[in-house]
Amino acid sequence: MRNIVKRFGSVVALRGVDFYVRENEVVGLVGDNGAGKSTLVKILFGIHAPDEGEIIIKGMKFKKLTPKLAYELGIVLIHQERTLCTNHPIWRNIFMGREITNKLGFLRIDDMKKIAYESLSQLELTRMPVETPVKYLSGGYQQGVQISRALVFEADLVILDEPTVALSLAETQRVLEYVNELKKKGKSAVFISHNIYHVYPVADRFVILDKGRVVAEFYKENLTPEDLTEIMISIARTGSVPEKYKELNLYRKSQLT
Amino acid sequence: MTAIHELKGVRGIISDYKLQVVITAIFFAIWFAFYVLNPSAFTNPFTYTSLMSISPYTIIPAISLTLVIITGEIDLSFSSIMALGPLIMAMTWQAQGEASLLGVILGLLAGLGAGLFNGILITKLGIPSLIATIGTTFLWRGVVLVATQGFSIPLGQYRDSMVFSALVGWLGGIPVQFLWTIGLAIIFWLILNRHRFGAYIYYIGDNRVAAQMVGINVDRVLISVYAIHGLIAAFAGIINTLGMATFWPTLGDIYMLKSVSSVVIGGTPVTGGLGTIYGTFIGGLILEFIEMGVLTSGVTGFWIRLVHGVVIIVALAAQGILRRREIIRARVMRLITTQATQQSTS
Repeated sequence: MRNIVKRFGSVVALRGVDFYVRENEVVGLVGDNGAGKSTLVKILFGIHAPDEGEIIIKGMKFKKLTPKLAYELGIVLIHQERTLCTNHPIWRNIFMGREITNKLGFLRIDDMKKIAYESLSQLELTRMPVETPVKYLSGGYQQGVQISRALVFEADLVILDEPTVALSLAETQRVLEYVNELKKKGKSAVFISHNIYHVYPVADRFVILDKGRVVAEFYKENLTPEDLTEIMISIARTGSVPEKYKELNLYRKSQLT
Repeated sequence: MTAIHELKGVRGIISDYKLQVVITAIFFAIWFAFYVLNPSAFTNPFTYTSLMSISPYTIIPAISLTLVIITGEIDLSFSSIMALGPLIMAMTWQAQGEASLLGVILGLLAGLGAGLFNGILITKLGIPSLIATIGTTFLWRGVVLVATQGFSIPLGQYRDSMVFSALVGWLGGIPVQFLWTIGLAIIFWLILNRHRFGAYIYYIGDNRVAAQMVGINVDRVLISVYAIHGLIAAFAGIINTLGMATFWPTLGDIYMLKSVSSVVIGGTPVTGGLGTIYGTFIGGLILEFIEMGVLTSGVTGFWIRLVHGVVIIVALAAQGILRRREIIRARVMRLITTQATQQSTS
């Protein structure tokens, strides 16, 4: 994403953001409330159209995307409960919008159940039958179903928007395991979280947004979670990265101007 | 690891048919009550052929209305479309001097167009479906009243035509309109449960944002659902007209509440996302059965509304209890899966 600007009336949510994800990389997108994290990924998934800038996916340039186009380009959005139909069974949720059908559009239910089961098996999510309505599943299990959807459709980029909100510790741990599983399978992911301790174990690189701008970018190997917390606090208070970390910051001031 | 299948039983998890069982039980309870009140009437086959003759007028529009309500929307204007469709048919027949298939097709197309208009008002102009279809209820009824000046159009002279036989004749002692009803119920069941389009209808009613996020064209599905409902409402109006061999300008008025009630008694919540064609079918039969039962029991017809009201409340109360239990079960199940996750993680 290059030089993305997004305005909501007089409020500028994003002020020329450059953001990229490499192949087989997990990017932790962090920042305070109102930093523009969700707006940025909504643009990447086609829910919002940017006012300026361009989106480049697999070498193709787009002024804006739609969710359908994003889906077709291999981008899947995982959001706490928002992308599931909870009255419906697991297998239907996995294939939602991309059902396997015959030429007349009639569902090949047995095929879908089989593939759903196989996909869930990869995440060790076979405790519940694939016919189980999603409303019976715990929050972590529901996130697993969404990640399974990404696996079935061989998504190249999975966006996880606050996937661990309202989850227990054990369930958060499972969701992090699912993200690691995605990485093992060669997928890329953007992990948005307020909680540094949730995003730290899975991310390869961290991008810090503040007031609609990218202000810092670090490789994980250069920081501890405590360092990252210190940087976040400093940015929230002063708007800048502490002096001792400036050398590690991949995002240079020249890029901000 | 905890075997969740054993904890609550797979059958317990996927007991999708509870509502249908309850609705069917209510139907048989009503049948039994009327049978006790008047055994001779309810052992007489004529009672059942009469039921099969008149119930399609309520059930057919209710079947397609089920789709609309599953999407979380509503359509009240079908009662007026039930008059608009046959009016076009009757006027075509009058102009041609014969009961032509063309008249039927034009009548159906009028219904389709009226439904399409509803869909566009709701999706493209963003008018809430309740308000939009109240408006079109008046609009189409107004068109019918202006066109007929309030007069009926007798169609008895066409009784011997093929169209009459094909739509409201008899086949093996069964009214053809009831066979149409069963056929439509099967087709709509297939669409809802076995076709991609039906899946989209459920998803839109369950979680519209999710449906959009996975790339489903929500507007297109909604417009199609309204168009289909318009078409089916016109069909119901046409068979009602042929059944009476007369077109009358207030045709359809009485079916608005009856068809909506059939859907709701049948277990389709107005909040959308859930619902079955089977439930609607039985719901419609219940309402018509009550009407017949009250009349054959020797009491005045004034009791019909009262009994309808009682049955609707009983059916909704039963559904409310079932849904509340379902919510509790879902909470328990979520807790069990959370605990299972904790065990497997530790």
